[in-house]
Amino acid sequence: MITLVVNGEKRSLDVDSDTPLLWVLRDELNLKGTKFGCGAGLCGACTVHVGGTPTRACQTPVEAVNGQEITTIEGLSKNGELHPLQQAWVEHGVPQCGYCQSGQIMTAAHLLEQNPSPSEDDIVNAMAGNLCRCGTYHRIVEAVKSASST
Amino acid sequence: MAMNRRDFLKVSTSASGGLVLSLSLPGCATVDTGYSENAGTWRPDAWLEIQDNGNIYFTLARVEMGQGTYTGLTTLIAEELDVEPASIKPRFAPVAKEYLNPAYKLQITGGSTSVATSWEPLRRAGAEARYMLMMAAAKVWQVETDNCSTQDGRVVHPNGIDSLPYARLASLAASEIPRIEVPLKPRSEWKYIGKQMKRLDAEAKATGTAVYGIDIEQPGMLYAVVTRPPRYGAKVKSFNKADVTVHSGVKDVFEIERGVAVVATSYWRARKAQRALQVEWDNDDAITLSTESVFHHYYKDSEQDAGVSEREDGDYAQAEEQAGKVLHADYEQPYLAHFAMEPMNATAWYKGDAMEVWASTQAPDLGRIAAARGCDLSPGDITIHTTFLGGGFGRRLTNDYIEEAAAVSYRMKAPVKLVWSREEDTQHSPCRPAMLHRMRAAVSGNRLEGWHHQIVGPQILDWYITNAAPAQYPWAPKMLYNTLGRVGLAAEGLATPKDVSAIEGAIDYPYQVPNVELRHTHSDPGFPITWWRSVGYSHNGFAVETFMDEIAHELGEDPIAFRRARLQNQPRHLQVLDRVAEMSRWNSASASGRAKGVAVFQSFGTFVAQVVEASIEGSEIKVHKVWCAVDCGQVVNPSVVSDQIKGGILFGLSAALWGEITLADGKVQQSNFHDYPVMAMHNLPDVELDIVDSNEAPTGVGEPGVPPVIPALGNALFRLTGVRQRRLPLKASS
Repeated sequence: MITLVVNGEKRSLDVDSDTPLLWVLRDELNLKGTKFGCGAGLCGACTVHVGGTPTRACQTPVEAVNGQEITTIEGLSKNGELHPLQQAWVEHGVPQCGYCQSGQIMTAAHLLEQNPSPSEDDIVNAMAGNLCRCGTYHRIVEAVKSASST
Repeated sequence: MAMNRRDFLKVSTSASGGLVLSLSLPGCATVDTGYSENAGTWRPDAWLEIQDNGNIYFTLARVEMGQGTYTGLTTLIAEELDVEPASIKPRFAPVAKEYLNPAYKLQITGGSTSVATSWEPLRRAGAEARYMLMMAAAKVWQVETDNCSTQDGRVVHPNGIDSLPYARLASLAASEIPRIEVPLKPRSEWKYIGKQMKRLDAEAKATGTAVYGIDIEQPGMLYAVVTRPPRYGAKVKSFNKADVTVHSGVKDVFEIERGVAVVATSYWRARKAQRALQVEWDNDDAITLSTESVFHHYYKDSEQDAGVSEREDGDYAQAEEQAGKVLHADYEQPYLAHFAMEPMNATAWYKGDAMEVWASTQAPDLGRIAAARGCDLSPGDITIHTTFLGGGFGRRLTNDYIEEAAAVSYRMKAPVKLVWSREEDTQHSPCRPAMLHRMRAAVSGNRLEGWHHQIVGPQILDWYITNAAPAQYPWAPKMLYNTLGRVGLAAEGLATPKDVSAIEGAIDYPYQVPNVELRHTHSDPGFPITWWRSVGYSHNGFAVETFMDEIAHELGEDPIAFRRARLQNQPRHLQVLDRVAEMSRWNSASASGRAKGVAVFQSFGTFVAQVVEASIEGSEIKVHKVWCAVDCGQVVNPSVVSDQIKGGILFGLSAALWGEITLADGKVQQSNFHDYPVMAMHNLPDVELDIVDSNEAPTGVGEPGVPPVIPALGNALFRLTGVRQRRLPLKASS
């Protein structure tokens, strides 16, 4: 039996212990906001926070995070209000197809927690592992800047 | 657009009370789609439904794959209906003849056609609905309709004070018939078109709540993965079923048309069990191609067959005889993958006498054909539910993944979600064709007297027609599907559109040269191909704009001046070229170690000029900046246009820098993002964009950003290194 604290809620699961966290979130807990892109830790679409750290859910066997706190895109907004990054994403019209954006936002959210006023280089360094095939990168940089405290 | 308004609009009352408008687009097929109208309160062929509870629904006939139809098409109808675009709820269209794309007579989203073909009819539908609501209000108030006005979802009384919301007028309006041709708003009165409107799907996509095909859940759903032959054309000979079925959660393992399916209670269990699957393949009909052999055949075929003449101005042969000098260049361009972020997937549920399918697809009507191939049902028994698409780029015009899901669900008699891995998407998807372009130019003194372009490669319709033709005749028995495909090909240019996939962008060579000849040598290596963002323009852009650069260099002329002199009859090319020269300060030198290159190219009716500035740093090409001027006619949403053009530039740069699917012994050699890299944020160039003001009708923007950036980068590298690269992708050292 695996126990996770997902978006603040304790969840007990009876799943194969080697199942990647990605598929546990998506198919066992029905949290579909976290996406499958490459299955190899190369694209970042599956990024969630494990104990506050951005983690590739497709490369994380669920047994490796047993008992830990997981935050997904669904848990990012608090008290019914969009996270400042989500607001910035809407304001700047960042998404095109939108499929990679949950992962982009989760990576950016960790960046702003660590560094509330990132420079453009800081943003690029933090986000370099999150791929977007539509090419929304310019808007992502704008939106992260506008959500930062500078 | 000459159209009888009674043919164009169908009006009715919805079951819940309210106004339902349907429209018929010109050129639509009139065959019975077998569509059932018994679908509760929502008439699925309705384009616009104004309910008496205030909800306004708009049916989105073109799918949303990132290119912005969700926002753009909704804006068109909102403008004339006089409501905030955000107050309209778009819903994805089911398969019905009303939703055919008039450019193709198929229900497909592609070819950068969505706004261009919706521009008139959607605004007209909005205007007519608004006028009917005004007529209803005028009756209530006993005033003249034309003295009423509207404002943000309300009809306003001639006294300027009283008003009624559309919701209260909706069912009354359903019985009104405008006696006049309702005029469209003049441009000066637009409130939403041409303004910086927010994307209507941004919040759903920023909160993870937008539903893509891969997010579909059905009760009791099973998961399937498929092992496909490593070499295209191979068939299953045998497989070790018993070794796979012992794995926990496995429900069944069986052969389908395209490989061996493993079905399990979860995706992960299906994948784990698949590792134990060993298939022996019958390779009798399998391809054994290598990248080298593909191009070897292209060269051989090009010499044996001069090809079909597609354009002949003047007499090129004579020009070459009289020329002082003849220039030659051969350009080789590779197979390219799409790499949409959402891997291919579909969910199918076979219910005996009907099937439901949920999928991210650019072609829901072809999806029905694909599903019908996978089971014992007719297309009319199959309902396709379209979702948001996690990228399309042409890949999702081919519905092989729907066929597979249907076949597995048919066997399991249960809902099945079938998901491709990234590796499977890379190795088993149809590609942008590899192409060879053989160029010749006849030059006398400083005059370009002749241009000869021989395109060598396949045509996409040859591969696509097997599902496209039956979709146009969905009542045809399935045994005729392949025949219909052949008839479709035989009738190409007569009953079906001419396949321009190989020649578009070359046949419309815009430069004033007295002798121009274009030939296409049809050579098909047998590797599956399909549409890829900007299609034929993607490779013809590189061939035409690189060779123009080579000739300019040979004649000692500036690349822009050389083009300008031959574009004097092409004002829209000239305008964007002049604009980009100004933006990029073309005549000022780049910083040391950098160089600029230019290209100007029309595709899908949109004119794009780009200047790229690049350098070589160590073993890598570094793109510093792209300046881009665009003329896409009138702009519905400037943000979306900007995003599409910039996105196209990055898509093109990914292809120019790294894009290459190679074959060895019939197998694709790439597998995932590590060996098929795409643009990441740390490679990102600065992009400066200018959309020129225009009164022309709107044209497409999803694709035209792609083609010119590839030659513009190559031309920059030539100026930087003095070495001309004639094979893509471009290299830092040759």
